[in-house]
Amino acid sequence: MSSHTISRRGLLAGAGAIGAGLALSGCATTTSRAGSAQQGGAITLQSDLSSPLAEKAMQALVAAYNKQSKYTVNLNTVAATTYQPLLPTYLTSANPPDIYTWYAGHDAAHYASKGLLLDVGGAWSTMGNYQPALKALSTDATGKKIFVPTDYYWWGVFYRKSQFAKWGLSEPKTWSDFLNACATIKSKGVTPIGLGAGTGNAWVAAAWFDYFDIRLNGADFHRALLQGQHSFTDRRVVDVFTTWKQVLPYFDPNGTAVTWQEASNQLLQGQTAMLLTGTFFADAVPKGSIDDLDFFKFPVIDPSVPDAEEAPTDGLFASSKTHNAAAVLDFMTWMATPAAQNLWTATSSGTVIPANPQATAPSTPLVQKGKAMLDAADQLTQFFNRDSSDALQNTANTALINFIQNPGQLTSILSTWQSQAEQVWKTA
Amino acid sequence: MAATATLGKRMRTIGFHTGASALSLLWFLPIALILVISFRSTDDVLGNGLNALPHSFAPGNYSAAWSGGGMQQALINSAIVSVPAVVVTLLLASMAAFALSRYEIPLRRTLILVMLGGNLLPPQILLVPVAKLSQVFGLYDSLPTLIAVEVGFGLGFYVFVLQGFMRTIPAEIQQAALIDGAGPFQIYWRIVLPLTRPALAALAALSFTWVFNDLLWPITVLVTQSKMPVTPALLSLQGQYVSYWNVIAAGSVIAAIPTVAVFLRFQRHFIAGLNLGAVK
Repeated sequence: MSSHTISRRGLLAGAGAIGAGLALSGCATTTSRAGSAQQGGAITLQSDLSSPLAEKAMQALVAAYNKQSKYTVNLNTVAATTYQPLLPTYLTSANPPDIYTWYAGHDAAHYASKGLLLDVGGAWSTMGNYQPALKALSTDATGKKIFVPTDYYWWGVFYRKSQFAKWGLSEPKTWSDFLNACATIKSKGVTPIGLGAGTGNAWVAAAWFDYFDIRLNGADFHRALLQGQHSFTDRRVVDVFTTWKQVLPYFDPNGTAVTWQEASNQLLQGQTAMLLTGTFFADAVPKGSIDDLDFFKFPVIDPSVPDAEEAPTDGLFASSKTHNAAAVLDFMTWMATPAAQNLWTATSSGTVIPANPQATAPSTPLVQKGKAMLDAADQLTQFFNRDSSDALQNTANTALINFIQNPGQLTSILSTWQSQAEQVWKTA
Repeated sequence: MAATATLGKRMRTIGFHTGASALSLLWFLPIALILVISFRSTDDVLGNGLNALPHSFAPGNYSAAWSGGGMQQALINSAIVSVPAVVVTLLLASMAAFALSRYEIPLRRTLILVMLGGNLLPPQILLVPVAKLSQVFGLYDSLPTLIAVEVGFGLGFYVFVLQGFMRTIPAEIQQAALIDGAGPFQIYWRIVLPLTRPALAALAALSFTWVFNDLLWPITVLVTQSKMPVTPALLSLQGQYVSYWNVIAAGSVIAAIPTVAVFLRFQRHFIAGLNLGAVK
């Protein structure tokens, strides 16, 4: 008798569990559908700014927007390491997030060419004061505005003022100054140049390639090269690497083994003297040490080549499948205002320059110096992957790391790079 | 003679203990490093490097990871996923294993081999189909979907192990129950399942740690930050360029607590589970 009750109870429990599961999944899907289909409903801002400082700044920004707007934006922060590979999945999914933090330039244009991005020309109608360069960066091949830049930053050779003073060095301006400085530092028993292209950070080596190329061959050649109009076996690309070879002995011998964050730490501790890096470096500096840091512009190699600088631009684009384009455009318009950008530069690490010329850049000497350097530059480039594609960046990582480790095999490295790059250009 | 023999025995004991202590110390070193880092302040870690001796004591990392880093919500999500996933998997797997081991079902061997074969395939090849199908069915970005996926991917292995175990139960027990008038479900529920308890306990302990520690499926079927379980939440403590390793270390310690607790509670079954795969 008892066996009957127990088996029935078991059966009921099982059925209950399955039923509950189905009911739960039913709930979840209906709510998410209703949320986005409803006109004027909340929109999602997908953000890869996952470092604690940046996430907090982003939360403050979204809260400030929600307070003054009839629309609601929900911030959804995703780990930066998973965001990049998943971005195509987000954009092609049936019910994608509405707005995304990403990079301006060729990378955004690539998604636009597949019809995945919303035309944000409406937001640009209020952005007439933006620099023409930023406007061009935000426009796709068909002339449609697809991107709203919020801020940009710069790259430079960072060093510690106290160290340079101790060695009696001043900021090198020319290539021979730079080589002399390296020799002096090496004679003091300190590694002159840190790299930090270890596991997962191989891309930092591309900064050296970019700078050698824009200093020797100019920004126009550099962009054309990345678009596949020149070959990586070109004589001018070989020049890049022969110049690089002059400083290679001064590089940290473990430069391709340590991560970028370790390399930044070595600079702070005085184990290395210089590091070519972007201003996101400031996040890795403990409070109080930032005042000892300074940077200089990557030395001029050929004075006849007009100056160009790397100025990666960050901002927002939106999915073309959004259910509430009005809210998306409203948020983007707001993000382009000086007020929003001032809030962002004040709450984030404070080493970015707002994209709106009417917004105020942080008044620290470091930012003012960076802004002056970019303003004086004849042309601005983004960065290797932003001027080309993530796929081409992968080929560069392999080639550059291989070159740093085996500079003698340059010829074969470049021909391999060219054949891999051709694959990328063919499939793009 | 006797003296040398005891001396040799003692030497061997000493050797064993020093060797084993040295090995466990070596094994414990990374964990100790994480614990030390989790109590250092951000400025200390950034200024002196990860491997430096601690210059600070900052238990605030734990609250930073717990509330600011979202570990609290993540642990709740992990519990919502892990517990039902383990219960449902074992229930379904034991039913299938019962049928496959106790009855002459046509294509029985093929079925078992397909389940085993499915386990040999790397799950990565199914990432895109799972992501696309969950979107097509409108199940994307929900915890029940994650439970279903975890159940689906665990099932093959558990069925294989459980049917091997159930086969060892003597047929006479089942026949006796049959004579007493028990139906298949009663035989399963009243006879076979209680006898399979050791295997079920071992598998429950193992599958809990597997589901709890899984990273691949959560980031494939989920997209909303507030729904992410512990592993992706830990990942998202890393920044785009700069990571505060002290907070991440504190988060890792928090994330490890449930699995360590399960291990300590079911330690016996873990060891029993080690020879479960050995088919007699």
